[in-house]
Amino acid sequence: MRTARSLAASLLALTALLALAVGFATAAHQPPTTGGHAPAQVSDPTAMGAELYAQSCASCHGASGAGTEYGPSLRGVGAAAVDFQLSTGRMPFAGQPGSQAKRKPVAFSEAQIDSLVAHVVALGGDEPAGPAIPTVTTSDALLPRGHEIFAGSCAPCHGATGNGGAVGGGALAPALDQTTTVQTVEAMLVGPGQMPVFALGEEDLNAVATYVDWLQDAPTPGGFSIGGIGPVPEGFVAWVVGMGLLLVVVVLAGRSWQRPDPDAGPDR
Amino acid sequence: MSAERVIGALLAASMAASLALVGVYVLDRGGAPLEGSLLAVALGGVGAAIVVWAVTLMHAPAEVEERHEMPSPPRVREAAAEALDLEAVTRRRFLVRMLAGAGGLLAAALALPAFSLGPQPGRELFETGWRAGARVVGGDGEPIRPEDLLEGTVRTVFPEGAVGRPDSPAMLIRLRPSDLQLPEDRQGRAYEGCVAYSKLCTHAGCPVGLYRAQDRALICPCHQSTFDVTRGAVPVFGPAARRLPQLGLAVDADGYLVADADFDEPVGPSFWNLTHAGDPE
Amino acid sequence: MILRWVDERLGMASWARSGLRKIFPDHWSFLLGEVALFCLVVLVLTGVFLTLFYVPDAALVEYEGPYAPLVGQQVSRAYASVLELSFEVKAGLVMRQVHHWAALVFVAAIVLHVMRVFFTGAFRRPREINWLVGIGLLLLALAMGITGYSLPDDLLSGTGLRVIYSVVIGIPLVGPYLGFLLFGGEFPTETIISRLYAFHIMLLPALLIGGVLVHLAILWRQKHTQFRVPGATEQTVVGRPFWPSQVFKSTGLMLLTAAVLALMGGLLQVNPVWTYGPFDATTVSAPAQPDWYVGWLDGALRLFPPIEFTLIGITIPSVFIPGVVIPGIAFAIMTLWPFIEPRLGGDREEHHVLDRPYDNALRASVGVAGLLAFIVLTIAGGNDVIALIFNVPVEAMTNILRVAFVAVPILGFLVTWRVCRELARRTDAPDPRRPVVLRRTASGGFEEGGHER
Repeated sequence: MRTARSLAASLLALTALLALAVGFATAAHQPPTTGGHAPAQVSDPTAMGAELYAQSCASCHGASGAGTEYGPSLRGVGAAAVDFQLSTGRMPFAGQPGSQAKRKPVAFSEAQIDSLVAHVVALGGDEPAGPAIPTVTTSDALLPRGHEIFAGSCAPCHGATGNGGAVGGGALAPALDQTTTVQTVEAMLVGPGQMPVFALGEEDLNAVATYVDWLQDAPTPGGFSIGGIGPVPEGFVAWVVGMGLLLVVVVLAGRSWQRPDPDAGPDR
Repeated sequence: MSAERVIGALLAASMAASLALVGVYVLDRGGAPLEGSLLAVALGGVGAAIVVWAVTLMHAPAEVEERHEMPSPPRVREAAAEALDLEAVTRRRFLVRMLAGAGGLLAAALALPAFSLGPQPGRELFETGWRAGARVVGGDGEPIRPEDLLEGTVRTVFPEGAVGRPDSPAMLIRLRPSDLQLPEDRQGRAYEGCVAYSKLCTHAGCPVGLYRAQDRALICPCHQSTFDVTRGAVPVFGPAARRLPQLGLAVDADGYLVADADFDEPVGPSFWNLTHAGDPE
Repeated sequence: MILRWVDERLGMASWARSGLRKIFPDHWSFLLGEVALFCLVVLVLTGVFLTLFYVPDAALVEYEGPYAPLVGQQVSRAYASVLELSFEVKAGLVMRQVHHWAALVFVAAIVLHVMRVFFTGAFRRPREINWLVGIGLLLLALAMGITGYSLPDDLLSGTGLRVIYSVVIGIPLVGPYLGFLLFGGEFPTETIISRLYAFHIMLLPALLIGGVLVHLAILWRQKHTQFRVPGATEQTVVGRPFWPSQVFKSTGLMLLTAAVLALMGGLLQVNPVWTYGPFDATTVSAPAQPDWYVGWLDGALRLFPPIEFTLIGITIPSVFIPGVVIPGIAFAIMTLWPFIEPRLGGDREEHHVLDRPYDNALRASVGVAGLLAFIVLTIAGGNDVIALIFNVPVEAMTNILRVAFVAVPILGFLVTWRVCRELARRTDAPDPRRPVVLRRTASGGFEEGGHER
């Protein structure tokens, strides 16, 4: 009968749709890997670096790295800062002037980045040098310590699941799903943009890098994680999926399928 | 497809799911997603079957029923009032008043144990764990030298011996001395560009855990109150109306940062008598 | 046979006869209350299971379970028991998640049910008592939710408790005393978890279930209202008998509700307290929100301007007006509406036939305005999450919503008012209860002057 079929069919279709959606979402939720890298050997790194710098960086940071109205001084920033900005694609900057630099596809090869790093460090001259590119070793044993530090120092801005956060002032603490372990530690040592400096000891830095790395593949035993940003999306889903499905059920089940019988009088 | 076939199919699906659930549980496989989905089919199959049955197979034409008049007939109401006979009681005015008085006082006496639920606030809201000369230590308990802090560093700190004390967390921030424009009543509380403010938001008490280094702003994630660290943590956005209390900093003989006193105003959210700091409680 | 056995002992056959044949009107919107009721059934059943594993103890223990990032960390016994239930008890996680989704959907169903009752005027005489009971149930549901999601003692819900504590101590004169009484001292206390537990599994459920029974009993006694359908008048009710038709449908609906909740509990992760970490009073994670049904309160706290002033030596904290005064006024109006409406509109008669939503312009407009204000506040509660997802500056979101909180309800009121008037003017036959006004024209004839309101 039409009514039975439509009811059963609607319910089955909805369940199938939901299952499909969940399947796609979990399958698509694989974090891409971008390269962190160790310094490569190049024949004459500073020459290539100088050339690249003149082409891509000097217009904003000045020919000698002293800065202009468009970009800060690079003298003494240190290798980690340069490596971080270049290897995450934040630099060369491509946004509105004054807006936050965001991760985007990397513009240079590893060798080119190394040469640029060497060149900018050299530009610093006698200025006290900023942090060098760190060597990061992760270890499962450091996971609890990493979680402890992350919860206290990183989660307030980046979110408990590392999914990012709006920190006001036009700034976003980015999601941590694509960062490499080296980039994580570099960011903590350098404090890029609005991020403060977290100059922790080596073991603590390794611990945080371990935890951030772990977060990228963190298991979701309860099913689809709905973005992992907490009760707001959960409430949205409760209304749209939960109440939505139930409204469909209620409308189908609660319909008056038959007209009232005009011959039936009041009940005695 | 006939209604009977549909209902039968739904019930069969439900039975299959229930049996599968037994297997899933015993074998401990699939986790929550499989358990929940199978449970949904098991429940939903029976539910849909019953609804379809009720809607299609049960002959239940709509009927008309008379509503009873809600108010009872006046005679009946009068008889009820007569049975209640309040007049006989209320006539004795003196006794009724005494009864009311005794009842009221008894209720008040019985409510007394409710006050055992918690202590009087006393001075608690006015005091924290900070004392004059208390060393500033990190979450690891280690004291801090100002020169060990890089510019742009922010750390959660506690008084020595009270790490983790809930009313005492402070945010220690290293700035350039030239960045500071502390207000008059907070002059001298910084030490070489280091400032320390209570971490508890003056709006609703959440820890003010976010810091924008370039804007020198502390932000509370609960309701986005934003405090300007260079000007004595004065609120610049959001619903907080009071500055974060500031800790006066100095160094001791070994060069470690110390507080020179407790906060000079209550930390955390405001309350009705927070300006009565000198009142005994 | 069974009937005879019971009737010989209880003599309830005549009650059974009238009860089983009792007529219930058919309309899908009448089932919203039932959906809420069935969510409650699921909550109780899954809740009982949870009580057998949860330990309401805030004392610290070292975590030794399978969740690697927390191994060796100091967590409360309560938090550890929730993790144990989630990771080490078979079917523990799905039961927990079904319970949480059921709570979220429970309040959503209540909200839709209240909307249906309000906009159709079902609260009018003689049903004012049931409206009062219903509002009480709504408040109890909110309290159940808040006490419930705070039990795992995780960082997110603990931060929410801190906000509640701050709003309480912000009440002038009695705030600090009341806050210390409720929490057992200055926040955070060890005792609050076990206290919330006592409320959540004993005190509040008793009131809630008792209230539901009263709600249903009054409904049974007064008979359900119904829309204007052929055969329905103020003296009759048209529908289907309780048995077998309605009982079967309701039973089926209960199972389907449970099925939807089971599906969500299995496929959609909710409240993953292991990622938030255990509660620590000196730290916080972002974003920080309560569950959706308290979002309006958080939104009110976010939007209200930074106003704190002193009145005769008493400081009025910035959280007092948005946290206590405004919600208090809003709930008071909502609670007393069945008594306010007759005084404003003049209609004090008994009603069993429902209005269409546009039949009463004042009610509809006030309802829409209130609903829009609630929605704006709820959105405001998630302003930083919206800022993150849509890449909009947080401050801009806050300021837009501040304006929206005032402008949108007013606009909604005016638009609804006009729409209702227009619809009432256009639709079918004039209501026989409303007299038609006749006017004498200049040429001596008569013309209709419209309906008297």
